[in-house]
Amino acid sequence: MLTRPTTDQVLVGIADELRDAIAPEVHNETLQVLLGQIDQILRGLAVRSAHEVAWMHEEADTIAAVTGTDVGWPESLHLDDVCRWYDSVSRALSAALDAAFAAGDAIRIAELKLLLDARSATEMKIVGALVLVGRG
Amino acid sequence: MLDPEQMPKLLGEFLAKRQPTWRNIKVSSYEVMTGGYSRLLAKAVVAHDDGSAVLVLRGDPPSDKSLIFTDRETEWDLVRVLNEQGIRTPKAHYFDATGEHLGTKALVIDFSHSHSFLPYVAVGGSLDGLQVRLAEALASYHAIPVDSLPAQLERPVSSEVYLTSRIDEWRRTADAHVEDLPILRYMAGWLDAHRPSPVPLTLMHGDFQSANLMITDDGHFEILDWELASIGDPREDMGYFKAVAQIAPPDLLDDAGCEVMCARYRELTGLNEIQVNPAVVAYFLILGVIGTVRRLLEGGAEYANGTNRLMASVFNMNSVQFGHSMWLPTADALGPVLDQLAAAAASAQENV
Repeated sequence: MLTRPTTDQVLVGIADELRDAIAPEVHNETLQVLLGQIDQILRGLAVRSAHEVAWMHEEADTIAAVTGTDVGWPESLHLDDVCRWYDSVSRALSAALDAAFAAGDAIRIAELKLLLDARSATEMKIVGALVLVGRG
Repeated sequence: MLDPEQMPKLLGEFLAKRQPTWRNIKVSSYEVMTGGYSRLLAKAVVAHDDGSAVLVLRGDPPSDKSLIFTDRETEWDLVRVLNEQGIRTPKAHYFDATGEHLGTKALVIDFSHSHSFLPYVAVGGSLDGLQVRLAEALASYHAIPVDSLPAQLERPVSSEVYLTSRIDEWRRTADAHVEDLPILRYMAGWLDAHRPSPVPLTLMHGDFQSANLMITDDGHFEILDWELASIGDPREDMGYFKAVAQIAPPDLLDDAGCEVMCARYRELTGLNEIQVNPAVVAYFLILGVIGTVRRLLEGGAEYANGTNRLMASVFNMNSVQFGHSMWLPTADALGPVLDQLAAAAASAQENV
């Protein structure tokens, strides 16, 4: 299979064409809003396509280390299998959080909170600068 | 409303039934409006022998195009109450309760000739004194007696029970989603551990944000879009406003602005400084967004499950993730302040 240009390159290219060539020709306000949303979605998808499988694995390693949970491995590296496995890793983290709050264990809560901060930082690499197109 | 080409004729016929004294009704323009994510909106200019009117139609989209489900009849009943109470919001005139006239259930309300707040700011409109005006806008509808509100709005048993239910909504939302959401579970635990002093329950707007505000020529806020209104903790509207303003400036409730707004709000409502202050507003910044977050996540889940095809549902996942990035550091900064307030409240209680 041909892998280059990469998926993220193509997605960014599509977003650029929509923004630079298509959007100026669209004068319907509803469609302009839709194009604005699609632009941001495509740019986020480009980042995800380039990194998400690796990022899920890296985060899972950290969660396993902090929670002391054996998080196992995905059945394959196909995206659906990785997402299903990542969901199970997230459940381990949620269970640890619930237990820490139930125990009122402030130190444990703070340790687990760092994992969430890291997750949020990754999310914002995907989202970039959020623009609420069409509001107001 | 689903077929704009037909609407001048349908609206004309509808108005002829509702306003039999109007002769020779002519709908001279009908424009679909953007701005609302959830309802169909259109502006119509209507002329008749005795005058003219500019009206806005707010109707339900087709069910497979609906981002969220809210009840038009409740909205109609509520806006009528707001009109009776003198709240600054466009007057509601007519309601097609079945959709048989306008193609979908729809309200017909006045078009507001005030300025949309965000475009007003974009062209350099003055923000001076608007924190006070914001407090006055909030206090105006928070002061409506709960007994006067439409019976369809659920009455929570107490503010404590209400708060518990709102906090649990974070957990329920996390449980219901298509994938696990540990950040929501963390926030539920944190909110539970930092409850503020209770206040009486009131009408809540539910989507109180700059995009739903107009500014009148004399500098007051007019409030639009009551479809998410409910009875709850009035401080949720303040927190929600601040949450959205951080994404879509201006943030009228920055550190200094929030102090000003809280002071004016306390003056108008008689609540005290432990109950209404910037730290508590920030608490409700987090708590108050869960209703919207739940709806956004439901849309994302439906897209993931193949039951809707709305690009907006995908786009809204960005807003949820942006929310994560706001809530977590806010919780860090706020926890110690809320702990101090809880100690002060406990001390005050002991002295009583």
